[in-house]
Amino acid sequence: MNDVTNSKLKKLKQYAFDKDSTLKFIEFLMQKTEVIAPQNKGQASYSYEIVKDAKDVVLDYPRTIQPLKKFFLPPVEDLLAFDLNANTYQEEKIEAKDKIFFGIHNYELEGIKRLDYSFKKGNPESNYLTRREKSMFIGISYEPDSYHFSESVGIPADKIDGFCLFFDKISNKSDYMVFVVDENGQKLIDSFGKVNEVKSKAEITAKKFQNKVKLHYNRIPQVFDHVYKSKVWDKVAERCVGCGTCNLLCATCYCFDVRDEIEINAKDGKRTRFWDGCMLNTFAEVAGGENFREKLNQRTRHRLYRKFKYITDHSGELHCIGCGRCSKYCPADISIVEIINSLIDDYTTQQKKN
Amino acid sequence: MSKPKVAFFDFTGCEGCQLNKLNFENELLDLLELVDIVEFREAMDDKAEEYDIAFIEGSISSPSCVERIHDIRRRSKILVALGQCAVSGGINAIKNLHPMDEVQETVYGKDKYLFPSIPAQPVSAIVKVDYEVRGCPMSAPEYLHVFKSLVLGRKPEVIDHSVCVECKLRENECVLDKGMFCLGPITRGGCGAICPTNGQYCIGCRGPVSNINKNGAVEMLKKHGFSVNEALKRMKMFSANELDKKIEWGR
Amino acid sequence: METLNVEKKNLYNPVISEILKVESLTATEKRFEIALPKSAMLNHKPGQFVEVSIFGFGEAPISICSSPTRTPTFELTVRKTGRLTDKMHELKAGNALGIRGPFGNGFDIEKFKGKDILYVAGGIGLAPLKSLIDYTIDKRNDFKRIIILYGTKNPAEILFPKEIEEWKKRSDIEFYITVDRPDDKWKGNVGVITTLIPPLELDVENTIVSVVGPPIMYKFVIMSLKGKRIPDENIYLSLERRMKCGVGKCGHCQINGSYVCQEGPVYHYPRCKELEEAI
Repeated sequence: MNDVTNSKLKKLKQYAFDKDSTLKFIEFLMQKTEVIAPQNKGQASYSYEIVKDAKDVVLDYPRTIQPLKKFFLPPVEDLLAFDLNANTYQEEKIEAKDKIFFGIHNYELEGIKRLDYSFKKGNPESNYLTRREKSMFIGISYEPDSYHFSESVGIPADKIDGFCLFFDKISNKSDYMVFVVDENGQKLIDSFGKVNEVKSKAEITAKKFQNKVKLHYNRIPQVFDHVYKSKVWDKVAERCVGCGTCNLLCATCYCFDVRDEIEINAKDGKRTRFWDGCMLNTFAEVAGGENFREKLNQRTRHRLYRKFKYITDHSGELHCIGCGRCSKYCPADISIVEIINSLIDDYTTQQKKN
Repeated sequence: MSKPKVAFFDFTGCEGCQLNKLNFENELLDLLELVDIVEFREAMDDKAEEYDIAFIEGSISSPSCVERIHDIRRRSKILVALGQCAVSGGINAIKNLHPMDEVQETVYGKDKYLFPSIPAQPVSAIVKVDYEVRGCPMSAPEYLHVFKSLVLGRKPEVIDHSVCVECKLRENECVLDKGMFCLGPITRGGCGAICPTNGQYCIGCRGPVSNINKNGAVEMLKKHGFSVNEALKRMKMFSANELDKKIEWGR
Repeated sequence: METLNVEKKNLYNPVISEILKVESLTATEKRFEIALPKSAMLNHKPGQFVEVSIFGFGEAPISICSSPTRTPTFELTVRKTGRLTDKMHELKAGNALGIRGPFGNGFDIEKFKGKDILYVAGGIGLAPLKSLIDYTIDKRNDFKRIIILYGTKNPAEILFPKEIEEWKKRSDIEFYITVDRPDDKWKGNVGVITTLIPPLELDVENTIVSVVGPPIMYKFVIMSLKGKRIPDENIYLSLERRMKCGVGKCGHCQINGSYVCQEGPVYHYPRCKELEEAI
């Protein structure tokens, strides 16, 4: 594991990029391989897309609608194609393809690391892991908006391990200090060749997060040991409409549903999986009709426990990366940070009583 | 194996769902390959005694409709409610929010006694409905799915998640964020989020998801700047029967 | 970053298998005998399940009702309750279906050895338990008493009548049955399954109890067992959830932090007490 701490940061090679060299660098990458980067989507939204023209890449963006997981766990994915009459099937061929993800926020890569854990654990899944191979990530700094809270879940602005290069914006004119994080990054810089190394060693610019969890992230799982029966779940459930947006857009959620569909020729068909979510009404329903998490308070609790307790107990890491998507896109304006802070209040009150 | 006998019947509705079926230019001939269509007023006029699958369009809103639907049910192995009028009463059910007498007078004036009318009811309020195709007009992909499934002898999938799910799968920009009124978060999916995908807001034409948090939905719409009245009015447009339990059936 | 270099495989490919025999047990339940291709063994433990798939009709988790001690084939008892199981009921000997598995954790048989074994089965819960019942019968000398309690709603729903006749005949098996709603011909016990527990004379410290039934049943059976002072450590339950993928990924079967398809469906009761959503 290549863990880059702040003291190590200073030892990293650094290069100065301006707007023009950044654009040229993207074009250079595109000649080598497929490049995926943030682009405009609709009027005021963003999405990660395969780059066709380097000018389409947007470097200043708060977050994309879907997280990066869509490239490794597609929203809709055929698992196999079958022949109904012959009872035979072909599995979907997935190939590992070289690709570079450019302009990725650090929490986004942390989300991928969490998913790597989930898909490797127990039964390593080839669909995800094969797509995930041969991916390189080039990071970029961002200005936290009122929804980001990555720092509160242990992902400060200078956490850059896992990237090969990291672009830290140092001026309003789109000038960047580029940190070479690993040898792959150095190779890219060397073969690009158009930029100069900077000798004076800078640090990655610190960022101010407006959105904050009240307790240190190390203590959040401990809070979750004591708030299972909290009234907070009921309060949130009064406002939640169970639309599932928080699950679907979550960078670390990976639950899915599988459905078969038959072609109109009544012979061919496909087995397909879809992103699914534990906030949806029928998620925990069994064939007999029993629904094991019928109520919205139970479902909200399950969602949060999956982020801060259930998987964390095994992986040792929080499975929330503070991207703020669940809150930004919640039609009922439910904020995950508010939920956590209310739970912390509840926990603190309990501790005082004891 | 003989082909299943399929029939289509229309009750109170605009017949838009029926016409919509003829619009499947790519699939229509293949669909016809799979079945014998024995009753379809818009396209032919044969009649049969018994049906393997009967598709019902429109709500039940007159005394004669009640008798007719009982008769069809007796002669059908599988009965499918087609489109929102048949599934929930649909737009027709708006009249249920007003006194029946007033409604009749508005429509027929002094001749109202010639046209007996009852509150618009879903087919399922009168007879057992086996499956549903929701939407106004009915959702094409769902219709194809149900049709194919039944002909192949399988239970169709029943979608009971929000339109948001399908909207997020397509990574659409959220129309609520664009300041539009959208009922997607509380409306049943299965339509592929076709309206938001095309830049329109969801008008809730497929009815609410089951186990809906009604108060939460009103609060949600208030947060986006819509009044309670506006919110309720829009929510009831296609779902008056489902969302307003106070409505008297009038019989 | 951590290596992605792990041994990975396609987890979702079913093995096309053949139905050797179909037997109607009740109006809604059929028993299927299934053979994997090339006479492969399923190598299951009592209590495990497989994912059965029919193309176009999807997949469903079904518990294995035969003991691994018997024949290279295996058996599933299936209630008609959904898209897949409806279709399965139409299939005949010679037809194919897809199998993935076996999945999950079976009964911890080592802990059962040398003990008195008490089975509590409600309704279709007898199917997964039969795998273990047959196992303990086949290795009869490894266990002391075998007591089977079985309850159904009505006499028409009684599964495995042939096996039940044999169990009744054997002097080394104690078999008790009850129905909630008797018909005119019924001469046996009437009442819910918990009515069979109080009259039992048990060496509670040395009795291992396995309970399988509908979700509503567990709470009441546990209460009755506690009334008998059976220690919690001696109780095992098999829980029903929507085990969609069987490999610990899809999330549908999760009870709190536990994937039923991985840790379950058989749970040691003390573990169930840690899982708030379990029963």
